[in-house]
Parts: sequence; structure tokens; C-alpha cells
Amino acid sequence: MVLALQGAAVAAIKKRSAPGETERLQAKSPLMRALGASVAALPAYQGALADAPPEFTEVGLRYSRYSEDNLASDKLIAGSRERYDIDVTQLWIEAPVGSSWSIALDVQNDYMSGASPWFVGTTVEGQPGVIMSGASIQDNRVEVGVTTRYFWADGNAGFNVSHSKEDDYEALALSFDVAWNSADNARTWSLSASNSDDKVVPVDGNIPVFIDREDLDTQSAYFGVSQILSRTAIVRVGLSYTLSDGYLSDPYKLFDQRPDRHRRSALSAGYRKFFTEAQGALQFDYRFYTDDWGTDSHTVELAWHQNFNRTTLMPYLRYYSQSEADFFGVTADLNADYYADDYRLSSYGAFTAGLRGTVQIGDWQLEGQLERYESDNKWGLYSGEAAPALVDFWRATVGITWRFD
Amino acid sequence: MKNLSILTVLTLSLLSGCAGIEPVPAWERGYLADEGMQWQATAREAKLEGHVYTSKEASTGGAGAAGGGCGCN
Repeated sequence: MVLALQGAAVAAIKKRSAPGETERLQAKSPLMRALGASVAALPAYQGALADAPPEFTEVGLRYSRYSEDNLASDKLIAGSRERYDIDVTQLWIEAPVGSSWSIALDVQNDYMSGASPWFVGTTVEGQPGVIMSGASIQDNRVEVGVTTRYFWADGNAGFNVSHSKEDDYEALALSFDVAWNSADNARTWSLSASNSDDKVVPVDGNIPVFIDREDLDTQSAYFGVSQILSRTAIVRVGLSYTLSDGYLSDPYKLFDQRPDRHRRSALSAGYRKFFTEAQGALQFDYRFYTDDWGTDSHTVELAWHQNFNRTTLMPYLRYYSQSEADFFGVTADLNADYYADDYRLSSYGAFTAGLRGTVQIGDWQLEGQLERYESDNKWGLYSGEAAPALVDFWRATVGITWRFD
Repeated sequence: MKNLSILTVLTLSLLSGCAGIEPVPAWERGYLADEGMQWQATAREAKLEGHVYTSKEASTGGAGAAGGGCGCN
């Protein structure tokens, strides 16, 4: 009963109150004063998740369009200039179960079409150029995931299982996460771990492939802590480690021979600051990444989240820069033990600029988002030759969410 | 890896300094519950964003344990 009351109080604060209203509610409402002691014992409900199941059932639908720019004609040697377009549909339902549990079902469908770089050669002018995979490839991926979560007074824990299937790839992933709070409810510790068993079965299409079936196992772990700094500021840091073992080459690239083990680590930090007069929040995130293939990277994200009456707007910027992998070559060195001419392993920098907005209409929420990603070797922090197939893309999303008792 | 170790030590040092911060009472945490103060816009947006960047860049991680794989990368 106490837990239910606590959950209800938190949900009521979160759903009904504009920022700053909590204090006024506390002062005016006898119910809030009566609940004060209980609410004070609650974990910080800012952070990973409130430590009570959701008070409402939520059903949502999102559609996203991802569209890569055509390859520049002066970078193309042969094949189609057209690159990937992907239509992504996300459908989910999330509901409370009893007083301590919730369950969520997620279904995602990706429909992909377009061409991709097959290998990098040399043009008649002596410059690197791309041989694309020819006519358009089409593929469909369906992912289904179920998440159950248990809530108790000082934390919550979730278990997720998901299955992803496409024409040439199948993955079964399990993950577990737990978050718990310090005695003063100002600090939240988070821990998560996952395992994914993947199978790749390349399909002979426009280009030949040279394997029948390969396996890949990936284990990953994350540990993080968030700390409330003041009534308007919070900070978070986290460390993640991922180990992949198995087939890590790209079967659709002609010159791609990668090690069969990949160790990746990332240190991340985030900061949020609410400005009461402006009714907006500043968001800052940073990540440093390093792996045993020789790639390091820095990612910086900056956003401003502005509240209006029933609307929010969030412009955001992201900068990313990575160094090239040890075995990357603009044109692959086939005499080496490992080699790849995949632009994703090259040295470059990239900017993303985007705008996200939401509108609340009763129990319904509409969302929209548009972003532009551009990459260039000259924008990078690290030295290295420019890969000719670097990608630029647009991503647009519309969505609708319905919450009901 | 050496850079990561240095950054980790620095971060943990900074965190230990947070021990002296005055606790914020629960009834003064309204601003902290604002949508703009969350670590991700929504779980589904975070999933899609992670999917896009992981498949187009060499880096991954930093926001939790990795999810399941796909043929996109």
C-alpha cells in the first residue's frame, strides 16, 4: 500500500506538475504534506527510472526514414551511386503488472534498400574511387523484444530478451540491468550486462560472397552512477566494456579481413542543468571510446530542451571524431594479416544537427524529429587518409503515444 | 586504453568529491523530473539513435550494455 502510494505520488508529480510546481504542491496540499515523509524515502526519481511501475499503460507507434546521400560522381568508379534508404517502424506497449512489476513488448521493422561500397580501387586519375555493389539490395529486419521490470523501494531491475531476424542475419540477445539508490536518494548506481548470439548467412546477390555461415558472440557490461548536484543539476558517469568473439568481417566487402576478437571500452559522462526562468534544460554529454583495433574516438553532444505550455522543442548538436583502425587502408593492403577499406574504420569527423519536438494533447503525445549528419576527413581530430565513401544522411521521425489507465 | 584509465581515475576522483554535496529533499526535485533533465529523450529514440550510429561509426557503448546485433554493421 505504501509502495502504491509512493508510486502514485511520484507519478502524479511527474505527470501533472510543471517544473517548480512540486514545491507549491508540497506547501499547499495536505495530501502531499502527509506523503512527505514517504516521498522523502523514495529514491531519486530522476535518473534511470522511477522506482515504481508506470501508472499508465502506454501504446506507441513511430516511423523513421533514414536516407543516405548518393555517392559523389567523382568518387565512383563503377556501380550505382544510390546508397541506403531505410524505413523503420517501431511499435510498443508497456503496462504495469500488479504493484511491483511492469512489462513491455517492442516490435521493430526495418526495410532497407540501396547499394553499398563493395571495395575501393584507383581511378584513371590515380585517386581512390568506390566500386559499389551494383543494383539495389533489399532486405527486411524484424526485431521483437520483451522487457520485464521489478521495482522495489530502493531500486529496480529489468530483464530483456530480443530476437532479430533478417534475410542474412539472426541475433538472439539477453540483457539484465539493475539500478539502486544511496541512502540519501541523491546517488543512483546502475549496472547492466548483455549477451548476443549472432549468426550471419550471407546471401549471394549482386556481388559474390565467400562464406556460408559464421557465428558471432558478444558480451557487454556497463557500470554507471548519477549524482544529484542541486535542485536543478545532475551529473552522470559510466564505463562500458564489450567483447565480441567470432566473425567480425563484412561479407559484402571484397577486401575485408578483420580479427576475430574485438575488445571495446567507453567512458561516458553527462550533465543536465535546468534554468528555471527560461523553463528549459541544458544537456551535455561526452564519450571517450577506445578499442584493441586501434580506434579511439571522442563524441560531444549539446542540446537545449525548451518547455512551452504543452509543447517542447529541443535543438541539438553532436560532434564525433574517430581515428582509423590499425588495419584500415584507403585501398586495402592484401599482403597484411588483416585489412579493410571500409570507410567506417577510417579517420574522420562528423557533425549532426537536429531538432526534436513534442506536443501533448490530452492522453496523446505527438513527436517529430529531423536531423542531418555530415562527415569529412578534414573535420577529424586524428590524422589519416580520407576514405572516399564517407556517408552523409538525413533522418526524420514522426510518432504518436497514447497513455491510458 | 591508457587514456581510458586516466580518464576513469579522474572521473572517480571527481565523483568522490560529490560526497559533500548537500542532499536535495524529495519535494525540491520537481525540476529534476522535467523531461529535459532525462538522460535520453525516450527509450525508443535512444534505441534507434544507437542503432544508426553503431552501424555507421566504429564506436559503440557508453549508454548501457550493448543490445543485440544486426547485419547493418
